[in-house]
Amino acid sequence: MVLGIDVGGTHTDAVCVDKGTVVSSAKTLTGSDLVASISNVIEGLGIDCRKVQRVTLSTTLCTNAIVERKHAPVGMICSAGPGLDPALFAVGPYFKRVSGAIDHRGREFAPIKREEVWDAAQEIRKAGCPGVGVVSKFSVRNPSHEKAVAEIIGGLFDFVCLGHTISGSLNFPRRINSTYLNAAVMPVQERFVKSVGEAMDRMGIRAPLFFLKADGGTYTAEAASRLPVETILSGPAASMMGGIALDGVRSGCAFIVDIGGTTTDIGVVVNGVPLIEPGGVAIDGLKTLVRGMRVTSVGVGGDSVINATGAGGLAIGPVREGLPACLGGPCPTPMDALAVLGAFRADAQAARSALEPGAKEVGMDVFSFSQKVVETMSHRIKDAAESFLADVNAHPVYTIHEMLHPDVLVPDRVILIGGPADLLKDAISRVMGLPVHVPDHAGVANALGAALARTTAQITLHADTEMKRLVCPELGIEQEIPRTMDLEELKALGIRAMAERAASLGLADEFDAQVIEESTFTMVRGFSTVGKNMRVRIQTRPGLIREWEVLP
Amino acid sequence: MRAKRKTGLIFFPAYDWEISPTHPERKERLLYTQDQVLEEGLLDIEGIDEFKADLATEHDIQRVHFCVPDVESRITPSHNISAGGCIKAARLVLSGVVERAFALVRPPGHHAMRVVHGSRGFCTINIEAVMVEWIRKNHPGIRRIAIVDTDCHHGDGTQDIYWHDPDVLYISIHQDGRTLYPGSGFPSEYGGPQAPGLTVNIPLPPMTGDEGILWALENAVLPILDDFKPDLVVNSAGQDNHYTDPITNMSFSAQGYARLNELLAPHICVLEGGYSIEGALPYVNTGIILALAGLDYTSIAEPDYGPERLRQDPEVTLYIKRLCEQILLMWRARDSLRPPSRPYFERSKSIYYDTDSIAERQHETIKGCPHCPGAVRIDSAASTGRRILGVHLPRRACEACRSQAYRWYEEPRDTYGAVYLQDMDKDEFLSRYPKAVDPAFKA
Repeated sequence: MVLGIDVGGTHTDAVCVDKGTVVSSAKTLTGSDLVASISNVIEGLGIDCRKVQRVTLSTTLCTNAIVERKHAPVGMICSAGPGLDPALFAVGPYFKRVSGAIDHRGREFAPIKREEVWDAAQEIRKAGCPGVGVVSKFSVRNPSHEKAVAEIIGGLFDFVCLGHTISGSLNFPRRINSTYLNAAVMPVQERFVKSVGEAMDRMGIRAPLFFLKADGGTYTAEAASRLPVETILSGPAASMMGGIALDGVRSGCAFIVDIGGTTTDIGVVVNGVPLIEPGGVAIDGLKTLVRGMRVTSVGVGGDSVINATGAGGLAIGPVREGLPACLGGPCPTPMDALAVLGAFRADAQAARSALEPGAKEVGMDVFSFSQKVVETMSHRIKDAAESFLADVNAHPVYTIHEMLHPDVLVPDRVILIGGPADLLKDAISRVMGLPVHVPDHAGVANALGAALARTTAQITLHADTEMKRLVCPELGIEQEIPRTMDLEELKALGIRAMAERAASLGLADEFDAQVIEESTFTMVRGFSTVGKNMRVRIQTRPGLIREWEVLP
Repeated sequence: MRAKRKTGLIFFPAYDWEISPTHPERKERLLYTQDQVLEEGLLDIEGIDEFKADLATEHDIQRVHFCVPDVESRITPSHNISAGGCIKAARLVLSGVVERAFALVRPPGHHAMRVVHGSRGFCTINIEAVMVEWIRKNHPGIRRIAIVDTDCHHGDGTQDIYWHDPDVLYISIHQDGRTLYPGSGFPSEYGGPQAPGLTVNIPLPPMTGDEGILWALENAVLPILDDFKPDLVVNSAGQDNHYTDPITNMSFSAQGYARLNELLAPHICVLEGGYSIEGALPYVNTGIILALAGLDYTSIAEPDYGPERLRQDPEVTLYIKRLCEQILLMWRARDSLRPPSRPYFERSKSIYYDTDSIAERQHETIKGCPHCPGAVRIDSAASTGRRILGVHLPRRACEACRSQAYRWYEEPRDTYGAVYLQDMDKDEFLSRYPKAVDPAFKA
């Protein structure tokens, strides 16, 4: 049996799954004592804790720490060389630029200066920062400068985060942001992991612990302590993975729509796997290299405020003013419209009174007005879904083959989750012209998503046979390769290395490694071939754990 | 950070297209540029966005070229995409989605002339011209267009296509043709009898650096543009003036390219040549993108950049100053370049397709029309054994030229394997194959 626990800012949810079914679920308020909150919610499940084989947590604590600026102060030490001034990408109060430059092939053309690094570190330490992030331009092609800086300053700080360990992708400003955020939430994550451990001890659970990442996969507690930035924005991932699990369909292409109180999140699922943001997700306005689900958010939800604007005009959201009128709130909302239409069982009289002025304004009776509200909301969701899809399908391609054989996604159904999902099912289906499936247990989709997601990881390999060098930043590999290495050998080497060092990537489940990007370029200088430049990206196939998938 | 001007990038590196594995125009060409652009995070800057190329259609290509025997036999899909990338750039700018656009596409196009028997100078179809004609068709409000070609090689293809066009100003700054392919581009080539002075060639001596090229820009190109008052400026942004380029002899730098684009402020840039794929292109393109977007580019530099090392010889400086004075004088006196009126003007020329080893002889006739740009007739015979007749009826053609053009088109019974007609105002492109039974022609 496996547990999923979602620690939100207000509520903590838990769900227990055994043999492909939801055995029980529980909910409690999140208090300041995390150990107590987690213990309580597990207790609420009423299960035999000795039988638990796996526990996965998802949390918004790191997200909240960032958004509420309640994270540790951290310094940054960056080297860039010629190019855009790194001061443009300064984050945090202590951003230091030092010498050192590396080019696109990973060749050093200006060295690090020891004293300069030491002085910068001293200044950051004196300002009271417990940790520091170290980033150099093109460090994913040659991490030696980041490593050298870490060696120089290591003793001064509680923790040092190196840019190349976070992602193997190119993008210096995003590497700076990702490294900064990772360092900033390290203390929060450390406390969280410790609290979870204590709660498990208290409940007598001796199962491996996992944490949910923004891409809808999970990783081990050890990896989560090192790379906490991956847990930021795991919120939408939790409920969408839950929706996918409950939906049960593993082939074809579907929209997944999560209707909340204030906003509606829309994503696309292909063969049971959610679409990932190609460049990385943005956290609190900072663009990062963190893999996360590609979703769009539209500012309408069940509790959005309705404004009639005259001449038949109708605006829904983006503001939310507490509960809907039918539940004692101050303003008319789509939930009130659903109450008037008899779909939602609440104080229909209060709903009618709240909607009446708006109905009058546009010259309709309250019932027709309520229909119009539901219609308008469905259209907003449809429009957002369509423009999201157009964006997804408009991505640039770089080969003639892809240009002439475009991979166009055409969803043919909708998975609808979130509070009012059941109530809006028919309207959404009619407006979008697609069949809509609302899975059972949608209320605990978030905890369920955490419980059932597999561990995932990704690695990036860059091989340059002229320089006889291979770099894989995620695995910390820098090694000499023979001049004769070809793409097939590189892929095999990557898959082998991933298996051998699975633990360091936070992988625990059995996994299928799949090559998701591969390219090889013959390097020609003068008129002769000098080597090959090869790039490979390998990921473990994301999805749901076997315990869930083998059963109907 | 936010771009001062919204800028669109159409990046199409054609990672699966090459002329041959060791040819300069190979798959690897834009690899390091893409690495640099990604690592610098340029695409994350607010106001700089990447867009997918369009596909140029056969019709778009026929608007410019007489492809022999037909479009399909001459091009590969890579050409539809690189020309389509330029069209996308124009579409974005003219619909107001962006203010500036840069088509970083390959294969290039500026050596491709109106008649296409094969490929020359790595080019098969003229991607800027395909774009310019798309613009004139779809945005008739854009009447006057200036193409400023800053590739190190003379853009003899673009010059050929706009030789007789009074509405398109073609200016080329390049390494002197006595020292570099294609061997043309002298000030004496100033445009046809119906558009005298509207082709401007500025051949610069080898080893010209930032100072010389920017001098030519500020003291010849910009004053000419001020006079001409184009509705749209296009930069054929070849990057082979760079000091590390393996097939040219100039001393231009990434800083120079960025400054050039800041001063010229083109609406659309189109990548042309540039074969220092590691040492130049990553830095030059970063500089151009920042300059187009109105952002600070002063910290962009090649790893081995040293302004002192690249300083230009004072004699070169003096030569360029004198040359620019002459060019400007000639521009101002361009009306005097117009020959006395005649019913028809004729010229003959030889063209060599170096990529495909084809030789061509052309005899061109243009009506010396006082009312319109004049109908053009091109009689072309190539060493492939193919002889064709191409008739070009320009925009705003008068009735007399219109009937002349159709007579030219309908007349031939034999002699030619194919006869083509471009009716620009009607946007109709006709072709017929009088020797219908000649199997060799279409083979």
